[in-house]
Amino acid sequence: MSLRPYLAYAKKIFLNRSAYRFDNVMGIISTCLQFFIFWEIYKALYGTSTDIDGITMPMVTTNFILSMGLGAIFSPDDYFLPSKIWDGSIATEFLRPISFKGRMIAENVGNALFNLLFRFLPCLIIALFTVGVNAPASPAMLALFVLSAVLGFGVLWTISFAVQMTAFWLINIWSLITIKNVLINVLSGSMIPLWFMPRELTAILNFMPFSSVYFTPVQIYLGQLSFEEIMLKCGIQLAWIIVIYLLGDILWRKGQKKLIVQGG
Amino acid sequence: MSFIEVKNVSKTFKVSRRRAGAIGAAANFFVPKFEKKEAVKNISFNIEKGEAVGFIGPNGAGKSTTVKMLSGILHPNSGEIKVGGYIPYKQRKAYVGKIGVVFGQKSQLQWDLPVIDSFELLKAIYSVPDDVYRKNLERFTEMLDMSGFIGQPVRQLSLGQRMRADIVAALLHSPEIVFFDEPTIGVDVVGKETIRAFIRELNRQDGVTMIFTTHDMRDIEKTCRRLIIINEGEKIYDGALSALREMYGTTRRLEVAFSEKVDLPGFENVTVENLENNKKRFTFENNKVQINELMNRILGEYNVRDINISEPDIETIIQKIYTKKEAEI
Ligand SMILES: Nc1ncnc2c1ncn2[C@@H]1O[C@H](COP(=O)(O)OP(=O)(O)OP(=O)(O)O)[C@@H](O)[C@H]1O
Ligand SMILES: [Mg+2]
Repeated sequence: MSLRPYLAYAKKIFLNRSAYRFDNVMGIISTCLQFFIFWEIYKALYGTSTDIDGITMPMVTTNFILSMGLGAIFSPDDYFLPSKIWDGSIATEFLRPISFKGRMIAENVGNALFNLLFRFLPCLIIALFTVGVNAPASPAMLALFVLSAVLGFGVLWTISFAVQMTAFWLINIWSLITIKNVLINVLSGSMIPLWFMPRELTAILNFMPFSSVYFTPVQIYLGQLSFEEIMLKCGIQLAWIIVIYLLGDILWRKGQKKLIVQGG
Repeated sequence: MSFIEVKNVSKTFKVSRRRAGAIGAAANFFVPKFEKKEAVKNISFNIEKGEAVGFIGPNGAGKSTTVKMLSGILHPNSGEIKVGGYIPYKQRKAYVGKIGVVFGQKSQLQWDLPVIDSFELLKAIYSVPDDVYRKNLERFTEMLDMSGFIGQPVRQLSLGQRMRADIVAALLHSPEIVFFDEPTIGVDVVGKETIRAFIRELNRQDGVTMIFTTHDMRDIEKTCRRLIIINEGEKIYDGALSALREMYGTTRRLEVAFSEKVDLPGFENVTVENLENNKKRFTFENNKVQINELMNRILGEYNVRDINISEPDIETIIQKIYTKKEAEI
């Protein structure tokens, strides 16, 4: 198997994205805006107190900039398969002598790379000069943060992948995708840091796939987890990736037999 | 063993029966009704290496569905398909690299990118070696007269230009087998002729095996010797294009311009129509009426200014076959 076709797809999406300059400027503004709104809300909540349950405002700030930044990077195209089934272009996709899943990953990676350079980094720099961001606990933790963030992306991607596969049967899965995204936004800690969730809920959330997407990398970055805990959490992330991927893959195999091509 | 083998293949679609109106829509939601639509019914045929086969039938006959099954996109509900040793829908990834498919109604090009960028992407996807790519690109753009718009984004092309670009896109990796599904749809007369000549050369020169679907019989006449006709999912003809004429094209039309006004006796099995300027038209079946006898009688007994005999064109024959099939059902 050659990687060349997949690199070509990743490159294509990267170039496509760069072509729309206005859209990119607006993208940076909207990511920053979102961050500052949440930041203001929490600043007001903190008022004069230096910490709530041992969580300081700079930690909250860092949580938001990292989880929203990661959120801006990880935006799997949830409509990749559904839109192709909807308009019938899935026919031409299936004519290519390459793995459709591989191509899906390639486009998402190309997209993520673009977002890293043109969403995350600009916003991080703006935040550094305005509100300040905590430095990583240590270089080792920074490396583990990156590892865990990549695994988090894997979790997010496999969830999107599995949900998309239902389009073979349902064709229109807009509502399903919306529910999925609400769950991820609320339960992953990107809106409400999971520190502030009720204890019982956190215990459950710790073993759900969602929390591992953003919250685990953030905790690692801040040095809140011991090495053993990190290994456990990364293990959980990996386990979810495998489980959800296998589930999605069953749907993928069955779905191809069900495939209908809309339009002449 | 033939190069392409299709044996007893059927494909059924599940279509929802929608009831009309608001109440009907509510009923659809709670009690959806499904109906089975047999798009392809028990079709079999074999195609040898290097053959060019026209594949025709009225709208909704099941042509595109068959092409999609042959391309490995759709799974048949029953029956067997084998192309060049592959089972298309089971070995899709390995198989599709060996074939080219043109869907006239669906572009395979990147909407936002210049044509040439789409080609470059395909080169990478199919891992086409540099020299093969350059040779094919040069030859095809020359033959299809594309140099004028190859740098333009696809969304700015006219339909005919886009079609030519789509044809080249399907051939850059030098496939041995090509399925054309209406590659001349919406193309003007000159464009059609260019495409036909191109397809013919591909078949005769390069020995590419092909199936050609179209609604324009002249496409077939110019490119294919063999013809398969399907109607309502069933195969109703499979044989030489010329044999079709012999079987169904038995009607002859004789037009005679007489020097003066004449009164003719009746001829058996011949219908006679009066046209202007002392012209008459004789229509008959050539297996019922001896044409030289009829001509001898006319030429021997009357003064004839001009005479002209014609056989039906292929369109008329096809029309006759389509409607005959419907009459039988
Ligand atoms: N996705 C689908 N869902 C349900 N029915 C379908 C679907 N695709 C095709 N059909 C039905 O299958 C039959 C055959 O369609 P097909 O597209 O193969 O016809 P065709 O011979 O290519 O016609 P045309 O000349 O109009 O292109 C039609 O009756 C059509 O309604
Ligand atoms: Mg069709």
